Amino acid sequence: MESASVAHAEHHHGPPAANVSSRVEAQVLGMLLFIISEVMLFGAFFTAYFFIRVVADSGWFPLDDKELPKLVAGVNTAVLISSSFTMHWALEGARRGNRRAMQVGLLTTAMLGLTFLSVQINEYVHIGFAPSDNAQGTIFYGLTGLHGAHVFVGLTLLTFATTRAFRGHFTPKEHRGVEVPGIYWHFVDVMWIVVYSTVYLL
Amino acid sequence: MLNPLRSEQEAFRFLLYVLAVAVVIVGAVLLVRAL
Repeated sequence: MESASVAHAEHHHGPPAANVSSRVEAQVLGMLLFIISEVMLFGAFFTAYFFIRVVADSGWFPLDDKELPKLVAGVNTAVLISSSFTMHWALEGARRGNRRAMQVGLLTTAMLGLTFLSVQINEYVHIGFAPSDNAQGTIFYGLTGLHGAHVFVGLTLLTFATTRAFRGHFTPKEHRGVEVPGIYWHFVDVMWIVVYSTVYLL
Repeated sequence: MLNPLRSEQEAFRFLLYVLAVAVVIVGAVLLVRAL
């Protein structure tokens, strides 16, 4: 009888504490609100982009003999997507207690992210038009620059995670410091797939 | 149901789905334009 009441207490499904939602964990809710705000931010830029291309029918590149470097950006896309695979590898390493895999995975992800950002900066230097030249240039720099800023934030998070990984901070049970940057990194990659597809290819 | 905010694993799977969908859409649009 007593053991039954203890078991009942352990599996209590009554109302939660007053400051806790019974439906969504605080961390998940925080991440959800953050991602929603990010989607709206990118949405505002995409609205401007589609307005120029579809509503105003102002045309898109090639414009004034200026072409977008699809091939270089395509290779850069492959670099960024491959960084999601190395991020996933790092997380698998963290989950299975394979510290070396986690460290190498995080370091490789950061290096690939840095490569992506360097190539994008090099693209800006050689592309031949400025944001102030026309509306198309403005939105091109706006969208790719907004994404680049997110890559920079992701790289900052990865730097913290990598440093902590080399200091032996994470265990198979507690590795939230890798998990959250991982989710963010995949979100940044998803946004780039959309940006590259619409701005460069379509 | 897939929730990319729940874990890195699900976020990674979501990324692969988005990639597949993007490849199909871009491929279809480029094909239609070429015809």
